[in-house]
Amino acid sequence: MSAQKDCEFLVKRARELVSDDPCAAKAWLITARTLYPTDFNIQYEMYIIERNAERTASAGRLLYDMFINFPDQPIVWREISVITAALRSDSQDKHAQFLRALFETLPGRVQCEMLLKATEQCFNTLEKAEMLLLLLKRFPESVVQHGVNLGETLLEAEVSENVESPVNCFRKLFVCDVLPLVINNMDMRLPASLMQKYILKAAEFYIGYVTRGPSSDAQLQASQDGATLKSPGVSRGSQRFVIDGLSEKSSVVAEPWERLLDIVTVVGARCEWQGDKGQRSYIDMLQRVKELCRYLPGLEGETRLRYCSQVVICAALVLFRSAFLYVSAVQPSLFQGVGAMTSGPWILVEDLSSVYSDVEGDRATLKHAHKKRKLADGREKTMSSDDEEGLGKGRGRHILVNKTEMPNWSETLESFRTARESWDLLHSHDGLEAEFKKICAAWKTESWLWFRIFLSDMIIHQGHYRKAVSSLHQMASVQQPQPAQQSPTGQASLEHHRALIQQASCHYALGEYRMACEKLLDVVSGLVPPNQELTKAPEDLSRIKSKTRKGNDLRLLPCTRGAVLPFCLQLMLACFKLRAFTDSRDDLSLGHVVVLLQHDWPQGEMLFLKAVDKICQQGSFQYENFFNYVTNIDMLEEFAYLRTPEGGRIQLELLPNQGMLIKNPSPALGVELNTLLLQGVQTMDRHHTVTRGITKGVKEDFRLAMERQVSRCGENLLSVLHRFCINEKIIIIQSLP
Amino acid sequence: MGDIRQSLLPRDVLSAAKELLYHLDIYICNMVQSGRQPPQVDSKTLDLIEEFILHTPKDRNAPVRRMSALQELQLLEIMCSCFQEQSRDTVRQLMFSALFNLQGNQADESRMALLSKLVSMAVAVGRVPILECAATWLQRTHRVYCVRLAQVLVDDYCSMVPGSGPTLHNIHSASPRFCCQFITAVTTLYDLTSDELTPPMELLQMIVSWIQDDPRLVLITFLNSPLSGSQPISSLDVTPLGGLIRWCIKAPLAYRRDKKQTNNGSSDGEPDAARLFSALHLSVLQVFMLLPNILNEKGLFGRLALLQMESVAALASDLSRLLDQADKHTHAATSDTHAASQLALDRLAQALQVAMASGALLCSREDLRAICSRLPHNNLLQLVLSGPVMYYNNIHTPPLTYSPHAAHSPIPTLPPHAPHTPLAAHPAPHAQYPAQPFMTGMPFPFRPGH
Repeated sequence: MSAQKDCEFLVKRARELVSDDPCAAKAWLITARTLYPTDFNIQYEMYIIERNAERTASAGRLLYDMFINFPDQPIVWREISVITAALRSDSQDKHAQFLRALFETLPGRVQCEMLLKATEQCFNTLEKAEMLLLLLKRFPESVVQHGVNLGETLLEAEVSENVESPVNCFRKLFVCDVLPLVINNMDMRLPASLMQKYILKAAEFYIGYVTRGPSSDAQLQASQDGATLKSPGVSRGSQRFVIDGLSEKSSVVAEPWERLLDIVTVVGARCEWQGDKGQRSYIDMLQRVKELCRYLPGLEGETRLRYCSQVVICAALVLFRSAFLYVSAVQPSLFQGVGAMTSGPWILVEDLSSVYSDVEGDRATLKHAHKKRKLADGREKTMSSDDEEGLGKGRGRHILVNKTEMPNWSETLESFRTARESWDLLHSHDGLEAEFKKICAAWKTESWLWFRIFLSDMIIHQGHYRKAVSSLHQMASVQQPQPAQQSPTGQASLEHHRALIQQASCHYALGEYRMACEKLLDVVSGLVPPNQELTKAPEDLSRIKSKTRKGNDLRLLPCTRGAVLPFCLQLMLACFKLRAFTDSRDDLSLGHVVVLLQHDWPQGEMLFLKAVDKICQQGSFQYENFFNYVTNIDMLEEFAYLRTPEGGRIQLELLPNQGMLIKNPSPALGVELNTLLLQGVQTMDRHHTVTRGITKGVKEDFRLAMERQVSRCGENLLSVLHRFCINEKIIIIQSLP
Repeated sequence: MGDIRQSLLPRDVLSAAKELLYHLDIYICNMVQSGRQPPQVDSKTLDLIEEFILHTPKDRNAPVRRMSALQELQLLEIMCSCFQEQSRDTVRQLMFSALFNLQGNQADESRMALLSKLVSMAVAVGRVPILECAATWLQRTHRVYCVRLAQVLVDDYCSMVPGSGPTLHNIHSASPRFCCQFITAVTTLYDLTSDELTPPMELLQMIVSWIQDDPRLVLITFLNSPLSGSQPISSLDVTPLGGLIRWCIKAPLAYRRDKKQTNNGSSDGEPDAARLFSALHLSVLQVFMLLPNILNEKGLFGRLALLQMESVAALASDLSRLLDQADKHTHAATSDTHAASQLALDRLAQALQVAMASGALLCSREDLRAICSRLPHNNLLQLVLSGPVMYYNNIHTPPLTYSPHAAHSPIPTLPPHAPHTPLAAHPAPHAQYPAQPFMTGMPFPFRPGH
């Protein structure tokens, strides 16, 4: 007997009919509405029918009526929040599209009101921000009122929600959506300090986004491990990246560097920065601030501060972008989305293509280092870091690279050069440096591995090897935590050894040969013995290089098994070369040199002949490892000849373990295994050594050993040399001071 | 103009008719130009038309002049182009009236025959000026003749030539006025009292699709009529609303009867018809909901009844009789019969309520109770008859506000009057149905016990 009951009855009848005969249901509701025009449920039911049938115009009309007539109904608000959620989402499903179209049918004034009220009812910061953003995008006049507040709310949310990474949902919304609206709204007056704060927030986000590591992928995997176990390859290979709180699609930021440049352009114009209004490119930007820098010393007060901040912001952005471009070429696996296409990692090391040339040249170039090292021996503590002049010739140094192996070599080197230029600019005035350090501290750049890689390379390029060594040492310790994962190809461990190889290269450049060898032997011992096929390419490379070589250049070495082992061998050779050919006698070093010269034969022929000359001058030569590691037929022939009367009857002590070689010719076992097995035999046969070169038996032994060695000529030379490095590690290191 | 008779007599039938049309055209033009009031064709001219165009014998002695079918067709073509080429509406309208206004004499039969053929032809070849003239004719002529014209068109386009329906379908875009009058005529014609008076399926589909496409179509005549409302007595209703309501309410019972008769035949048409009538009923209600704004704009809200109380009363008693019959025929009321009866009563209740709320039906609920007193029980009907409960203690009762684009909405907002108040606000001119607000305190024992 009540109105409530009447309404319930009418709505119930409509509901019963709607599936069978929607027209009848609507007829009931129209009737009901004329009876009880103020009843909400009747109108809501009408709306539901139209909405479920996805009729945009009529549903929109009814929603409008409800919004106007029943502004306090929770159901209306639930409906509006469903619609605004569809507006925020990027879902392409039919229903979401319908809801968006439904919203579009409403008059602009109602859309505006609806969004504002929906925002008020929202308690989740992110949702609230997204909602307000919808409003700002649709109704630009609302930017003046809400823009800055929304931005500040988002930045505060980062703090209050303890978000660690600058690449988070709040910042994304702020940088990509709110900021462009705010800075492009000319009706707003924004203080320069605020805009500078915003530009740095934007830059931090974009840099963080571009340099995001594949680690977030791993997090994703970890969070849904159950799913990924079934298909392990899928998510690892894909380029998926999701910012927590955002959808996959809205986590994508297209052309981040370009967007950042856009913001810089607008902010620059609004802050009345000096120079061209439109920033055409990062390179232009650097050129402009370089010019500005010349005026800096003459400026004071406010103007100086403004110039300073322009120079620092622009130069810092160019620095980080160029450094990123360089590192993404040199160490692509650090970044998500860069890795797959480009070639593997590259290591900036000393160029050793001149290692086979005459000792005199090297002696000349390294004399300084050598002398310095001698000095350092006396007062090592005080010389622990380089002095400013550096060992290399600073910015004039060339970086060599195999152009066929690195197709984008010119861009990569250009990026490196630009980054260095920006760095130098930022350190050209105290004021600039202080400002730049503030940015670095705020962004915690010291924890950016990729930037540390660039810095290390830059320090090497500057010739500050001592600094470089400590920088690399830090880096190696950062990288260390994952030595467990050794992939079958050895690639992962190779990347780990990247820092070690650079350290070895630096120690070499410092003249610290022993340290250099220690480091590189560590690397070699981590390498899987190589196959013969891998050796070809680097040989070609070094031949090309030997023509263009000049002074102590640097070179980008591909971080592959095929390139790393040859480089290590060359570096060892370089370490021993000077020592072997000094006036004083050092047979062990000379022996090592002979062994190492086998690599890349006959490049080292000239040096080998020099070694033979030295042996002839000495009249005798003792190197007990000779038959273990020398398999080069030319060398064997030369040594066999040396013993003959024509060769000068040189006394060669090459057989400490000749007994073993003769009595147990067991080629099936490796040399080192024979050595190990026959320790006892070796000591029993000492008498041979005592009567060396006299008995016929010894002559016979030498002949047999030679014959045996000749049969070993086909053996994989790199395996032999790899064994040399591993088995003789201690001797090798000890033979250097 | 009477003096031309001598020159017409020697001619053959076709050329005489042609000559007369030519002179008629000149005569009317002159008359309009001279501004004679009222512009009326004299009786001599009308006689000439009857003699030379309609071929009614002047007296017993005169020879009967007849046209061959071919000559008749040629004459129709001449008339068609004559109307088509006449650029002045007034002249065209006067000529049409001179030719086809009924004179209450023996010539009327041939007049109707010729008119029907001309209109049918105009529909076929899309002669808009003729359809416009015919629309006016349908407004002024006694409904019996209107219905006859409609009948010819339905026969020609829905029954005689299968597949010619689409041609007729186009009239809603060619001449909405004619279309509206045509709907009014066919709803008057087919009152669902017998099989012959049940609209053909094709026609029903056509009408439903017309109204769904544009609900305002059924109001066109009303919207274009002068405010005087001086409808000739016995002419068609100004809108087809009454006829359409009757269709929808009686359909469940009429079509059920149909089904019983064609029991062995295909019953495929039946659910289709049910669906079409349901859609039509909804459309009619939606048209009602357009009315408040229109009536308010014209200042007629509460003053003009688009639905006549008499026809509603007739409908109610009709329905009551049908329901009685249905009960008698089936002896034991099956669930089917019951459902059909309830559907008819639901629709009656809905139509009454919405018509009343929209100002199309001017009466009190008490009047309705009197009219519907003989009808069997139906929950909704009782709710409508007793009216809404007035103490509506819903906390969400904001004053209704109205948007400017109400007219485009299929379910428009209500007028700024509660449904039961307009009669109080606008004293109704109909003495027999005085405006009486519903007495809120009145108890009704038959309120639905849901």
